[in-house]
Amino acid sequence: MTMHTSSTAGTLSSSRKFEFRRHPYLLAVGVFILLSIVNAILQPSFLRPAVAVSNLASFMPLILVAVGQTYVILASDIDLSVGFIISVVNVVVVTTIEALGGSGGAILAGFAAGIATGILAGLVNGLCVAVLRFQPIVTTFATGIIFAGVALWILPQAGGQVPAIVWRTYAGAVAGVPVVLWLLAAVLVFIAVFARTRFHTALVAVGGNMQAAYQTKLPVTRIRITSYVISGLFAALAALALVGETASGDPLLGGAFSLSSITAVVLGGTALAGGRGGALGSLFGAIILGLIANVIFFAQLPFEYQNLAQGLVILLALAGGVFVARR
Amino acid sequence: MPSEPITAANGTIPRSLPVLRASRIAKRYGGVTALAEGELELAPGEVHVLIGANGSGKSTLCKIIAGATGPDSGVVELDGAPRHFKAPRDAAAVGISVCYQELSLIPQLSVAQNIFLGREKVVARTFVNSRKLNDDAARLMERFQGVAGENFFPNTLVSDLSADQQQLVEILKTAAEDGRIVIFDEPTSSLDNRQVELFFGLVREMKSAGKAIVFISHRMRELFEIGDRMTVMRNGRTVGTFDAADATEGQIIGMMIGNDIVSSAQSPQEKSPQARSAKTVLQADNLTGRTLNGVSLDLAEGEILGLGGLHGQGQSALLRSLFGADPAADGIIKIDGKVVKVSGPRAAMALGLAYVSGDRGRDGTLSHRPVFENLALARLNKSHATYIDVAAVSDQVLPVAERLKLKYAGLGSPISQLSGGNQQKVVLGRWLAAEPRILLLDDPTKGIDLQTKKDLYALLAELCLGGMSILFYSSDDTELLSVSDRVLVFADGQVVDELAGERLTEFELNQAAFASSASAEATA
Repeated sequence: MTMHTSSTAGTLSSSRKFEFRRHPYLLAVGVFILLSIVNAILQPSFLRPAVAVSNLASFMPLILVAVGQTYVILASDIDLSVGFIISVVNVVVVTTIEALGGSGGAILAGFAAGIATGILAGLVNGLCVAVLRFQPIVTTFATGIIFAGVALWILPQAGGQVPAIVWRTYAGAVAGVPVVLWLLAAVLVFIAVFARTRFHTALVAVGGNMQAAYQTKLPVTRIRITSYVISGLFAALAALALVGETASGDPLLGGAFSLSSITAVVLGGTALAGGRGGALGSLFGAIILGLIANVIFFAQLPFEYQNLAQGLVILLALAGGVFVARR
Repeated sequence: MPSEPITAANGTIPRSLPVLRASRIAKRYGGVTALAEGELELAPGEVHVLIGANGSGKSTLCKIIAGATGPDSGVVELDGAPRHFKAPRDAAAVGISVCYQELSLIPQLSVAQNIFLGREKVVARTFVNSRKLNDDAARLMERFQGVAGENFFPNTLVSDLSADQQQLVEILKTAAEDGRIVIFDEPTSSLDNRQVELFFGLVREMKSAGKAIVFISHRMRELFEIGDRMTVMRNGRTVGTFDAADATEGQIIGMMIGNDIVSSAQSPQEKSPQARSAKTVLQADNLTGRTLNGVSLDLAEGEILGLGGLHGQGQSALLRSLFGADPAADGIIKIDGKVVKVSGPRAAMALGLAYVSGDRGRDGTLSHRPVFENLALARLNKSHATYIDVAAVSDQVLPVAERLKLKYAGLGSPISQLSGGNQQKVVLGRWLAAEPRILLLDDPTKGIDLQTKKDLYALLAELCLGGMSILFYSSDDTELLSVSDRVLVFADGQVVDELAGERLTEFELNQAAFASSASAEATA
């Protein structure tokens, strides 16, 4: 033994073999590059900074929800209500700003009310799933319907307007750098920092083997609730980005985001069974979904083929992931 | 040799006050008493061996001490003060750690992440320094360096480790918790000799640091090597605590099975010649798989061949592989001397095999469906008809129900309304209706009442007279010995002994099951 210890200290420290499994987002990066090339061929202006920034601005809401959704899925749960959280937050923000007269303070109050709404919605989901032990898919499907109803109750018809400063800022620049780039940087920093927290390990543990996590004395219930709250928070941020993009309120705006966010997460290499993956992949997954829509549009396919083509390309991207993983 | 009565704990070890005392602990699961009167007293700085046969209550007692489940009655005292643990967290907070038999590892996390899970040293109360985490883990893992095999690094994912490496991680994780009271529940079952020696080194260090250690194992040699005191359990009761130095293997097995007759004269593996005129129906040769290490056997017409030994030593795996539910990776199965391939349950049924599991929920009943459907299932599978002639099939299954003395409201009532024993009769009846030649019984009397058991024994005897051959695994040793013509004793996926004639006793069975491990290890 003693003979070994001095020489083995180095070898024990780590295995440096590169393993694809440990970087599940890489495939999404590859698909992203491929789609960017295709997109640039079909749409020569694609690489111009202004176009890239405007693309990013329209992808940002899905990026944000998908990042939040990742943490729920990592813990082996799922959140089908995020799209409707977006709807509620959207109408809460717009109506609050209008009700308070559209001043700078009103805008801040509207944003704060929106974020609080998202957190509250996430808390409701978390309590139902983790404390009352309801089945996650059905629970968040049901709470999603409720959130959609609340959105319609607050603002029965699309309308309302936010002050010009909101959408001008979202489309504008700070210190010479477009705001959406600042946002993207903030999201990337968050993802990187959050992945190094003890909580992130706990999420993976809960998603990987809930019974073992409980026996290891992790506060499983609290961890699951927190993941839903994070998801609600990110849905709220997505709604704010949408307000910046559309500048008005629409109670039916969010619905499609629920399944898109899950698709983005899966495209990004996170396992639906939980315990494996990360938010960086989801970010690329969301961009991929946006690029696919772009490519379909610029390929000038007849309108009636667009859905078909979009579905097929998503399936192809998924098949690529399965193919690489099974090698 | 014992010079003093072995119940007196007046030897060298427990001079100090006990750190933990569990008294008169009782626990029932439904109608089954898992623990009737569990007692355990732990002194600081001792290795306390907990030993008992299948279902004697060891694991339940440990679970209660660890807060994984609550007792129905009884007290757990820590340093003299009674404690009520609602969750493992509560027990951990006062320094009780458990090394779980079924392991508590997260496959998707690395070795280092698993060892320190939930207890990571953090920066700013939030962030994990993964380099430091790996370094800390490497320092702990050095203990097993050289015996742990390949690819055993701090950043290796647990899902990539072999079974013994995972067990080592579970051990290191438990040790790193640094509890005052540490329970090791069968930590050595997947380890080889060198790994066990190094593990014992760790246990001795923990012992000299004043920790109280509970050690559960079914390898007699290990118990004597590491144990200071021993507590023997039988049928949910603690029957004695004594110094390891004062006890012999024979005495312990005698206490485990409830008689103090110690037969020291051990006739060496002498297979009693069977007076079997009948021909061999089923032959298995060197079946090997995940939990089978080369099992061979032959079953004669009209014979009940028992499969014994401790839980999970390959008995169920053998039956399931014969039935094609979990086919063995290697080996030959012959029926009537002809080599057959059992690719799945359907093929097994065609060959005249039937499998009845005691795990009714998983393997047996269609819950909420009528008794009729449950009874007729196997029979229907054999027929090729598209539509079911309910009246005709009823005529076929009713005599079976009668023969089983089944108590039920009507063929149309859901099976979930029946008692556990009667549900088990239905599952058995289903296979009898399909008229098999070879019956594979996988602990079929688990959790059923005495009367039903008696009915079943009578039925089994009757079936054998009719020429049926039966492979019978039971976790109830008494039942196994009384029902079987011969008993094969399993350990570590191998047949380590065959009992027949005069050797069909609980003593011989336990002797073989507990003492076998030395020979099994040699081949492992």
